[in-house]
Amino acid sequence: MAGAQEGPSPRPGQEEPGSDGRSTSERVVDLLNQAALIGNEGKISILRQVQELIINKDPTLLDNFLDEIIAFQADKSIEVRKFVVGFIEEACKRDIELLLKLVANLNMLLKDENVNVVKKAILTMTQLYKVALQWMVKSKVIGELQEACWEMMSSMASDIILLLDSDNDGVRTHAIKFVEGLIVTLSPRTADSDVPKRHENDVSLERIPRDHPVIKYNVLWEEGKAALEQLLKFMVHPAISSINLTAALGSLATIARQRPMFMAEVIQAYETLHANLPPTLAKSQVSSVRKNLKLHLLSVLRHPSSGDFQPQITTLLVDLGTPQAEIARSMPSPREARKRPRDEPDAALKKMKIEPPLGEDDEDKDLEAPAVAVAKVAGAVTVPSDTDITAEFLQPLLTPENVANLVLISMVYLPEAMPASFQATYTPVESAGTEAQIKHLARLMATQMTAAGLGPGVEQTKLLREEPKEEKVAKPDAVVIKRRLSALGQGQAIAVLGAHGSAPGLPDETPQAKRRPEPIMPATQPRLAGAGGRKKVFRLSDVLKPLSEVQVEKLKLGAVRRILRSERAVAASGAAQARVKILASLVTQFEVPLKGEVLSFILDDVRGRLDLAFAWLFQEYNAHLARGGGLERYDECLIGLLAGLQEKPDQKDGIFTKVVLEAPLITESALEVIRKYCEDESRTYLGMSTLRDLIFKRPSRQFQYLHVLLDLSSHEKDKVRQQALQFIKRMYEKEQLREYVEKFALNYLQLLVHPNPPSVLFGADKDTEVAAPWTEETIKQCLYLYLALLPHNHKLIHELASVYTEAIADIKRTVLRVIEQPIRGMGMNSPELLLLVENCPKGAETLVTRCLHSLTDKVPPSPELVKRVRDLYHKRLPDVRFLIPVLNGLEKKEVIQALPKLIKLNPIVVKEVFNRLLGTQHGDGTSAVSPLNPGELLIALHNIDSSKCDMKSIIKATNLCFAERNVYTSEVLAVVMQQLMEQSPLPMLLMRTVIQALTMYPRLGGFVMNILSRLIMKQVWKYPKVWEGFIKCCQRTKPQSFQVVLQLPPPQLAAVFEKCPELREPLLSHVRALTPHQQAHIPLSTMAILEATTRHEPEGTPGEEKPPKRPPGSEEDPKAKGGGPGSPPPPEGAPPELLEPPPIFISAAEDEESSGGGGDASPPDPALDTPKDPPAGTEPPQPLPPPGEAPPPSPPSSEPPPPGTQSPPPGGVPEGPSEG
Amino acid sequence: MPSAPLRVAVVCSSNQNRSMEAHNILSKRGFSVRSFGTGTHVKLPGPAPDKPNVYDFKTTYDQMYNDLLRKDKELYPCGMASLKNPLCFILERLKILNSSNFRYTQNGILHMLDRNKRIKPRPERFQNCKDVFDLILTCEERVYDQVVEDLNSREQETCQPVHVINVDIQDNHEEATLGAFLICELCQCIQHTEDMENEIDELLQEFEEKSGRTFLHTVCFY
Repeated sequence: MAGAQEGPSPRPGQEEPGSDGRSTSERVVDLLNQAALIGNEGKISILRQVQELIINKDPTLLDNFLDEIIAFQADKSIEVRKFVVGFIEEACKRDIELLLKLVANLNMLLKDENVNVVKKAILTMTQLYKVALQWMVKSKVIGELQEACWEMMSSMASDIILLLDSDNDGVRTHAIKFVEGLIVTLSPRTADSDVPKRHENDVSLERIPRDHPVIKYNVLWEEGKAALEQLLKFMVHPAISSINLTAALGSLATIARQRPMFMAEVIQAYETLHANLPPTLAKSQVSSVRKNLKLHLLSVLRHPSSGDFQPQITTLLVDLGTPQAEIARSMPSPREARKRPRDEPDAALKKMKIEPPLGEDDEDKDLEAPAVAVAKVAGAVTVPSDTDITAEFLQPLLTPENVANLVLISMVYLPEAMPASFQATYTPVESAGTEAQIKHLARLMATQMTAAGLGPGVEQTKLLREEPKEEKVAKPDAVVIKRRLSALGQGQAIAVLGAHGSAPGLPDETPQAKRRPEPIMPATQPRLAGAGGRKKVFRLSDVLKPLSEVQVEKLKLGAVRRILRSERAVAASGAAQARVKILASLVTQFEVPLKGEVLSFILDDVRGRLDLAFAWLFQEYNAHLARGGGLERYDECLIGLLAGLQEKPDQKDGIFTKVVLEAPLITESALEVIRKYCEDESRTYLGMSTLRDLIFKRPSRQFQYLHVLLDLSSHEKDKVRQQALQFIKRMYEKEQLREYVEKFALNYLQLLVHPNPPSVLFGADKDTEVAAPWTEETIKQCLYLYLALLPHNHKLIHELASVYTEAIADIKRTVLRVIEQPIRGMGMNSPELLLLVENCPKGAETLVTRCLHSLTDKVPPSPELVKRVRDLYHKRLPDVRFLIPVLNGLEKKEVIQALPKLIKLNPIVVKEVFNRLLGTQHGDGTSAVSPLNPGELLIALHNIDSSKCDMKSIIKATNLCFAERNVYTSEVLAVVMQQLMEQSPLPMLLMRTVIQALTMYPRLGGFVMNILSRLIMKQVWKYPKVWEGFIKCCQRTKPQSFQVVLQLPPPQLAAVFEKCPELREPLLSHVRALTPHQQAHIPLSTMAILEATTRHEPEGTPGEEKPPKRPPGSEEDPKAKGGGPGSPPPPEGAPPELLEPPPIFISAAEDEESSGGGGDASPPDPALDTPKDPPAGTEPPQPLPPPGEAPPPSPPSSEPPPPGTQSPPPGGVPEGPSEG
Repeated sequence: MPSAPLRVAVVCSSNQNRSMEAHNILSKRGFSVRSFGTGTHVKLPGPAPDKPNVYDFKTTYDQMYNDLLRKDKELYPCGMASLKNPLCFILERLKILNSSNFRYTQNGILHMLDRNKRIKPRPERFQNCKDVFDLILTCEERVYDQVVEDLNSREQETCQPVHVINVDIQDNHEEATLGAFLICELCQCIQHTEDMENEIDELLQEFEEKSGRTFLHTVCFY
């Protein structure tokens, strides 16, 4: 050590030449320094040089440089670490004392992270274990350090045995080799042992003195046997690799040859193996293993101690296809075999090994051994194996009959395909039925039974083992205690080395870990095997601990997660398909949390993982089919997907649709999700087109899907509803769906019959409020679908009609409101509609009328429609309102006939009628040609028989006409007046109309004068009403009318004055202002009346006419007088032009008219105002003028003269103007 | 990759054709390779199947080459010069016809020996070699058996494992070339494994599937 510290080579090249003379120590220092700096390859070779120098050339230096070399065990390079292991081996072989220092390092290296270092360490252990044991044995005095060192070696040996379970094949192989060496070392060498020359001096159990203070012979012996148990157990592992198996076979052969005492176990292991080759082996591996087995069997056979086992070995060899000649060649010479038993192993060994058969063996062996292969006496050192006992037991049982039965029974269990191992091992049975063959068969079966833990052999052995087991349990305890004590010493020892905290713990724990299970193992093996029976694979449970539920779940989840996450990597390697399949089937089998995981994974990137989604879905469906059970899992999966998709913001890609359409089955709840999807306004279209596709592509359930769509047609959201209706309309065109849709619509329609809305109309949750009244909302809900269908199937209209008649008023109103659009859509040519009109169910009149109105609102009625309406009107329901919509389609005569009834209707309706007749309704130009032109209409109104209609209605009707100034132009009115005037008798309202016309169009003044004149010719005074109006008109149109008045015959003139005294003065002055020539034309009688009545006046014209005879006239006087002075004085000067209207008057009149003609007597209605004039005027006939020639003047008390005029009640009259 | 380069041995019966072909290729690919025969003697095809040329393992390739060259000349003693004599020429033709047309140059044996002597001086017998290998490749089952038997019969010392793999190759030039490539590929794969011992089993299975051949495989120990 001191040498190493002497400095880092201060002399590089210079001293080199003389380096021969330089001390080795210096060279080593130099090399070590180089090694510290150089790269890996160089480092190894330099270190090798160092090793050479300090181990072989100058071992005295070894101790000095130990630490420096060992320091390399932390090197990064595996090779360097391996070198350190090798160095430890070499160093310890050179000087075993060094093990004291190095054992802890070796232990560390044995636990190196790199398997190659571990393997190297195992190899080293294989060598050093023997050396260490020898050292222990030879040491006279054993210090604490040395003892601790040995303890550590033991614990490392145990660790290596545990490495038989390593997951690295190579490590296991090395461990096998170590165990082989261990077994050989820890068992006594006997006379018949093969002893390799090289190992002649190796220590083994027999060299250990019984009184050794530390090394306990028995303990080691047990350890050796336990190691063999481990190895044998390892060999029957069903998943053993072929290489491990080969290695183990070789090791067993070595053990059998070097320690023939174990030959029985070895042969039995071979037999078992041969009969039960691991199922995991491939065909070529089977042949490799068989070849190996054969080789080792031959090598064992060659061994002189094989004699007892020759039958088994030979059988095996024959089975393996070895030619008899070769077998014979390998047989040990009989002499040799016979010689063996005489070279007894030392008696002590025998005693401790076997108790029961010991007494007899010395003599009997020779006799029995060759005789019966399966005899109990299997060599000097073995008990009869389980197999032997069982085989013996079986042999007599194998009668042909039994065998045949066995074959038949086992047929059932044959696999479908011939296993590779069978194929490879099968050799035809040559000597069936012979004694040898039966024996062989018995042995084969016994092997299997023993392996399965059955048969008398196993039971017997079990009993035998009871005792030793107890011993074993006791022994390890002592050992453990001992070790604990020594651990302290060891800790110190390690501290000297400057090594590592972990070391002290190890010997303390490992022995426990190892020792504890040890005594149990021999017993457990057969038991566990028995549980497995035929199925050897389950022996795996020997090695494995069952995981807890939680762990299992965690592992499962973890595994699936990894598969999930490996998406990209797997895709890159082209196994995406497989991954998807695996995932799908995994998820299908597993529980809920996993599904959530996968689901959210899918939803993260639906587009990219759609195949996974489908794979899963289909897998679930398959599982459902296979199980035949419920659909819950499938349902859950589908719902999860759909619901997840629904929550996704972007839906343009139609993945939702795709999933729905490709799903093998749409469950109820999935349908519910689809429905919700449809109800989302932003996705309505997508959702419903999905539904539509479902309906069309899944005919088996199309009605179920259709029903959802239909349900949505009365949805409260407008957009949803509209969309649904759109889709349904298209469906409705399909023959197979038509009926269903229709039925649904009608069912809903029928709901309207109920007094309260049925709960169907509310969501199920609102089921409670059944007694709620109909609202517009609920009513419409029942109608939407129906109305949408109506234009497509007109026949449905009848259903509505029948529902309508039964429905309550609220519903009727709503129906009338909503029906317009669809009806218009149907058109008036719809035969069904016409039929409805024709049949018009009782109670549905308003509906029909509404229909008619809707139809003719903008379009003229078709002749067909008119015909139906006419028929209806005439034959069944003489309600004139039916006619209104088709007025324009009727003939003139019919209209005129209907007029009296029409104008008696509600004023609004009347207005509507006139709009239609006058073509003044909304449309311009669209309206049909009315059967009556405006003039004719007005005339028709005048000609209405007053027995059919009261005057008031007629007046209102004419007022309506006059209100349409655009229609009733002055020309139209002129024509009307002309025609009316020519009638005979004169229509009662003639003069009213004249005055009205004049008021509207003052420029008609001249024309009116003309009319008036002609009326005089027609003896207007014979028509009291007209006459009254005549006077009023004259009064209005003075002075223009003077000319006309003057044409009156005197009696009538007098009557005029009587009626209207204030006319006299202006008329008189008018006459006086005339030229004499003109005056001459005025008859004297007229003049007389003019003047006669001017009694109160200074200048009265002498009148021939009688003064008014009537007392009522006098009654009027005060009024007349009152009126006289009130009236403005007649204008002076030249009489104005006749045709020129007095502008002020007109405008005033017009003003009054336009201002709505106040409540008082208005000028435009003189004819009617008249009766009102008298303040107390209760009786209209009162003011009647003298009848003149006309019908005899009725007495004052008489009833109103013309029966036809049926004058309206006085109360009604004042209303007239106000309404006009 | 194993940290140390793989030590490979290729073994056939006479260390002439199959093992040498593989030796050639493997050494060109940079493997540390040696080749051996397991037979008791080196046998080369002779003029008839039952008349092989037999040498012992001490004979160098060069000596064999010259020997065969000489035999060729003996078989066809008339060189170009002798052809000048028409009678001799005719006799020669007849000889050729009678001797089933055999010439060592024609079946490529001389060529093979020529290659071999450039690789190493003489054939080696496996049983006589005590060197340690990681991987031994044999070229037929019989050779594999001999190798395994030999290894097992040796006294074990270091317990270092060696993997023995048999690749069946027919003993002719074409198959030898194909087999050599297969062996080479196998070696390369093994060389590239992370942990040769742990992966070799699986690797061989894959190779079996790929090549359609079966390989015997075992492990022995030094």
